[in-house]
Amino acid sequence: MRIGNCFSLILLFCSAGSFAQNKQVLYDFTDIPQALMVNPGMETDFQWFAGVPFVSGISGYAGSNGASVNDIFAADGLDINDKVRERLVGRLTTRDEFSGTAQIELFNGGYRSAVSTIFYSFGAYAELDNIVYWPQDYAFLAFEGNADQLNRRFDLGDLKARGSMVAVYHFGVNKKMDRNLTLGARGKLYSGIVDYNSTNNNGYLVNTEGGNNILSTTMNADLKLRTSGIQALGNAVDDGALAGTLLKRGIFGGDLGLGVDLGFTYRLGDRTVLTGSLLDLGFMYHSGDIESYSLKGNATIEGIEINVLEELADLNRDFWQDLVDEVERDIPFETSNAGYLTFRPTKLNASIRHDFGKTVGPGTDCGCMSKIDQRPPKYANAIGAHVFVINRPRGPQPSLTGFYQRRLGHFLALKGTYTVGKFSSSNVGLGINVQAGPVNFYVIGDNLLSYQNIAGSNYASFQLGLNIISWGKKQ
Amino acid sequence: MKTLRIFVVLILGFGLHYSCSEKQDFTQFDDLSITPTLETSIFFVKVQESLINRAVNLNFFTQDFNFDAFEADFFADRVLEGTISYELQNTTSKPIQIELQFLDGNDFLLDTEIFIMDAAPTALLTREVAYGNSGKSLDILRNTSKVRLNAFNFGDNSSVSGISGAAIELRSSAQFMLRLK
Repeated sequence: MRIGNCFSLILLFCSAGSFAQNKQVLYDFTDIPQALMVNPGMETDFQWFAGVPFVSGISGYAGSNGASVNDIFAADGLDINDKVRERLVGRLTTRDEFSGTAQIELFNGGYRSAVSTIFYSFGAYAELDNIVYWPQDYAFLAFEGNADQLNRRFDLGDLKARGSMVAVYHFGVNKKMDRNLTLGARGKLYSGIVDYNSTNNNGYLVNTEGGNNILSTTMNADLKLRTSGIQALGNAVDDGALAGTLLKRGIFGGDLGLGVDLGFTYRLGDRTVLTGSLLDLGFMYHSGDIESYSLKGNATIEGIEINVLEELADLNRDFWQDLVDEVERDIPFETSNAGYLTFRPTKLNASIRHDFGKTVGPGTDCGCMSKIDQRPPKYANAIGAHVFVINRPRGPQPSLTGFYQRRLGHFLALKGTYTVGKFSSSNVGLGINVQAGPVNFYVIGDNLLSYQNIAGSNYASFQLGLNIISWGKKQ
Repeated sequence: MKTLRIFVVLILGFGLHYSCSEKQDFTQFDDLSITPTLETSIFFVKVQESLINRAVNLNFFTQDFNFDAFEADFFADRVLEGTISYELQNTTSKPIQIELQFLDGNDFLLDTEIFIMDAAPTALLTREVAYGNSGKSLDILRNTSKVRLNAFNFGDNSSVSGISGAAIELRSSAQFMLRLK
């Protein structure tokens, strides 16, 4: 039951806000095995690595570009109703989002093939993500209503939200093709635990001057909410079997999907590196425990309309119930158990890095780089830029990052980033990778300047992990 | 190791010193009030002059209409205040009186609105009736299950208005504030 409560809390936390994190600090941080997860074509020099189960990779973020917790809940003596009306209802638009994601690696490992240019990686992780765009006109209707808003069309398409919890099983291949080029690909099997989405909504609600009566109210709706797994989890909560149901649906007992990650690293010179990756190019087919709801149609009403001359023979009919029936017929609310397809939020990464300073650790430039399996040298310093684009329900969302990386021997590597994106234009991140013998530990924090008042931040993110790494005999 | 120790101390120091938050009060959520005011038409009744002329009685029209909108739980439990707006138009040649009676499920009379108009030509008669706060009791609406329309002709039943399509038209709309939270 305690585990069940924990999961419920996680669900609750993430439902407030989610979709797939920009891991700009981790990206191309080649000392960390988990960097392979954001670029399967990363240059690797590990002989093998094994993540410590459940702690090899933990990450998450919560973001809201339009308002912060502090904007609403600061103990500032102001009336929360004024704050909500001024800072949410009056300020946010449908471009503003509340999002978050949480990811935990269940296990993760990798090993070098007998053919030393090939590195295999594998693992599984659970991911929970959610994104809700501010439903501007719904919010206005909820807080202000439609009174005295003649001819204003309230856009029912403002409702855009989706979220999911999936277990992902993956196997990747990373191959150094030649001295300059490394390619990688990772296949993914998605096992959907729970999913909901309501992203393709259209329609409007409007009051206009009536033809017979004072007002004419028109509703044109094409709304749809699709869910999978919600009922199963609800029943599991009632039965006290939430953990078992999560586990069952997470091990191919729920929805299934396929995906692929692609990536590359290309050396433009000995010290300049170009990288790119395309992640989660995939889909899921939701077929189990589906409950979908739709509201589609058009109705215009002016209240109960009684033209006595026309209705003379039937004045005793129930005009009110007839009106209700007419609206329900014109805009039927329907439920369905039909399966549906969703696409994973595809992410694109690209970076350019220039190394400089002294060489560090193994792989020191020995003038033998002509050998294809020779590990490239690592330099004490690197600077570069990184672009991240994620496909969201309201279109691609880019972020641009500049970074500086510093290695202090083989033991410690630091990476600082400055990112400009939707959530913040002053996002300073820092990653620390510690290599104590075979033990690898990393921790990454994002938007550090906001830590002066975390409640006032629009974005907070973290990543950490613990691995065992071997470089084999070449170490 | 010395480098690491220095670094960890620096990071922890930075974190402890700078990682803080202004005081938050999440109990404010309890004070959040969501009370939209919704507006729509309610009912429209049209009685043609030809019908009035057919009737011989002073009370030329009486009819009960079922009206469950106000007693529906969603409305009755949440309504805070509201206004019903009426518009009465008389283009007939007769002075008339319209009575709108609000009845509960047992036909008990809860309230009556009376409109009196001269024969055409007349201006549009408009009236706003407030409920809740300083207006009439909201219980009138909460308990209304039926609306009874009584119409009286204080003129003759033979004359014909010079206005084309002469009729009595009663229009109504309502604005109600509901408490959603």
